[in-house]
Amino acid sequence: MYGMVNKAIEDLVTIKFGEDKWKEIKRRSGVNIDVFISNDAYDDSITYGLVGAASEVLGLTPPQILFAFGEFWVLHTARLGYGDLLSAAGRDLPEFLDYLPSFHIRVALIFPHLKPPRFETSDRGENHLTMHYFSHRPGLSEFVKGLFSGIGKMYETPLKVTQTKSKDAGDDHDEYLLQWGAAAAA
Amino acid sequence: MLTAAQFSRLFPFHVILDSQMRIVSVGGVLARICPTAVPGVAFGECFSLVRIGVASGHPFDREYILSQQNTLFVFRTSASQVMLRFQALVLDSPERFAFVGSPWVRKPNELAALGLVMSDFALHDSTVDLLQLIQTATVSVRDAKDLAARLELQRNDLEELIASANVPILGVDRQGFITEWNRASERLFGVARDAALGRTLESQTAGLRPRERVAALVHESLDGRSAGEIECSLIAAAGRLSQIRMSGSPRHGVDGEVVGALLICHDITALAEYRKELEERVAARTTELSKANADLSRAMSAKDDFLSAMSHELRTPLNAVLGLSESLLEGVYGPLTDRQTKSLGTIAESGHHLLTLINDLLDIAKLGAGKMELSLGDVSVSDLCATSVRLVIQQALAKHISVRVISDEAVDSLVTDARRLKQVLVNLLSNAVKFTNNGGSVVLEVCGRSDDGLVAFTVHDTGIGISAEDLKRLFVPFTQIDSRLSRQYSGTGLGLTLVRRLSLLLGGDVSVMSEPGVGSRFTVTVPWVTPSNAAESRSNTASVTAGGESGSVGSSAGPLILVVDDDIPTQETVSDYLISNGYTVVAASNGLEGVRSAKLREPRLILMDTQMPGMNGLDATRELRAIRAFDATPIVALTSGAMAGDRERCLEAGANAYFSKPVHLKELLSTIDSLLKAPSARREATP
Repeated sequence: MYGMVNKAIEDLVTIKFGEDKWKEIKRRSGVNIDVFISNDAYDDSITYGLVGAASEVLGLTPPQILFAFGEFWVLHTARLGYGDLLSAAGRDLPEFLDYLPSFHIRVALIFPHLKPPRFETSDRGENHLTMHYFSHRPGLSEFVKGLFSGIGKMYETPLKVTQTKSKDAGDDHDEYLLQWGAAAAA
Repeated sequence: MLTAAQFSRLFPFHVILDSQMRIVSVGGVLARICPTAVPGVAFGECFSLVRIGVASGHPFDREYILSQQNTLFVFRTSASQVMLRFQALVLDSPERFAFVGSPWVRKPNELAALGLVMSDFALHDSTVDLLQLIQTATVSVRDAKDLAARLELQRNDLEELIASANVPILGVDRQGFITEWNRASERLFGVARDAALGRTLESQTAGLRPRERVAALVHESLDGRSAGEIECSLIAAAGRLSQIRMSGSPRHGVDGEVVGALLICHDITALAEYRKELEERVAARTTELSKANADLSRAMSAKDDFLSAMSHELRTPLNAVLGLSESLLEGVYGPLTDRQTKSLGTIAESGHHLLTLINDLLDIAKLGAGKMELSLGDVSVSDLCATSVRLVIQQALAKHISVRVISDEAVDSLVTDARRLKQVLVNLLSNAVKFTNNGGSVVLEVCGRSDDGLVAFTVHDTGIGISAEDLKRLFVPFTQIDSRLSRQYSGTGLGLTLVRRLSLLLGGDVSVMSEPGVGSRFTVTVPWVTPSNAAESRSNTASVTAGGESGSVGSSAGPLILVVDDDIPTQETVSDYLISNGYTVVAASNGLEGVRSAKLREPRLILMDTQMPGMNGLDATRELRAIRAFDATPIVALTSGAMAGDRERCLEAGANAYFSKPVHLKELLSTIDSLLKAPSARREATP
């Protein structure tokens, strides 16, 4: 997993809950890393361990934690280092979503060993599209929902996220119906 | 052939020109950022050449462009000053050619300034990849700066920690030059940091002794080993001598290689002095304790000697009292009146009581000194119980108290010390009879307990019982629970203490349940070891108890017995008794005289007191045994002591049997009779 994901967990906990809670989460998870390097690869178990410990320490369910991390990652952590790049990914929400698959393919080219997820779009309409999410990592669908939610907030566009397929439920990949504008309000 | 739309999708920033360098068409995205570029307008009005790689002063016309198709052209839009990098491309006819390329951007935020997003670029355009790489590198540089700042902070903290540490900390590189020297090192070695850094460790710590030990510590650390600790001395410049404990560890570089060693010193002068003082105190205390031990040992030895002497002094006159009483009662000195008989009975009874008291005291003393040894053997439980009861039955009958034994068929025989177990049971039975009123009952019950592997001997009575408060003091020596009882019931207060200690010695214990006015139950346990399961471990120490039918030869011309004893009353008592039982007696008063008399008279049997002036009885026995003629003559040793080891010493000297004074004359007679009837083989006999 990207170091920046772990960094997002650290930032979220320290900003929203304080430094002591972060120390407690690290102690409980057994993670003994002082600084996460954004573009370094870390074992997935570290991220899962941090999420589990955060759930215990903060009294939130893992899905709640993952959703909050996803949203926070877009609105805070990624913007600190990749804000201009994110902004350049689309002038508006639909444009961003259209470009998301190519964006991740380019990420995969830059970091071939990181195994980033793959996105595909289909059923593009004026106010909706279907986003397909392929990842070898289990249990991250709430994190992805949090990412979409954060992107909607970044473009100040109402976005409705409905999961239509779930790998955890036995499907071959996760699938989300993304609706914006008037469709999101409906 | 591509359509115009396909061409525009592949090259969103293209410009197609005709032979006059007028714009024919413009890519969609380029048209957005350069709105003046429309068909028919001269290329030069919308774009100006940035002369990078193009010869200065050369006319920039169609011919030149077509001749430079391998050159990258850089233009700037006239309106927005956007830089574009283009490649010239001849199209389907020589009259038409195109510039294809994309804007030159170096940072992602420049895209926003141009009103562009990444999807404006063709997917094959690497500009976007370049921007992502640049952004990634920027983030990495930022992280690296963060890390460097944190490391700097930690380094400063560490340096301050080392500098201000109370313990001297020294660093050396692989060549032995000092790289670290904190303030505590300055104080310990009297050398300033600036003067020490860069110098050799040896030159700045010259007062450390032994040098070899320090060098070895540094060497081991530089080898990458955690070198442990050494202790050494330091003679400071002022002449002060300090004791130093020094530990060493390797210092590692970025790649994990050993770059030096870190040495930490502790001034343990005060500790060493304290340790030395402690060692001296311990040594002094040990000497004191050794002396105290020796004193104690002497005191114990003196106590044993005293007990032995007291035993001798108490038993010798008692021997005369009991022996003469017995002889008088048996009419050896002529008939007695009823009154005399009664008085003599009282004397004998009091003597026996006194003997019991002395025996109890000696037993307690031997148990306390750990000198009582068990003599294990196969014991018939029914015989043991019957014998024990027999010893108290007269006492019980006098009070019309019934005494019975409840046996356990499973417990037939035991491996134990018959004498000591009998002593315990008789004590308990005697107490039971003593504290039970006329007409009561006393029971001795045997029960084998397979669950804990013990045999329980329980003595229960219908006596006066014991209160809960008194039960706590029951086994304390010299304590009879109620002083009024001691007047009502005679006793030394030693009996139950003996029972307890003997029970423990036998490998068991004693417990008691009692209710005032109802009665008491004393239970003694011993290990349930039967002859069959003890066969392998049983020792060969079983004593043979003297006994059997008493008898006398009954003739004044009977077998000659030599009585050797320096105590004249004892000599006379024993002699009179033996003569009255048909033996011929000759007496001697010490060992030397006894040996001479034996050689002269050749007695059939010799009674030999062990403690006599001049040659003692043991030496006399050894001398007689050395003479072939006395090789088989029975010798019975008489000792005044009753200490552990007496019996062994007598037997070792050559005695056939051993009696402790005061001698029970009937038992002595019985033993003499047996020895004279028996074959010449030696046998041991003790009462």
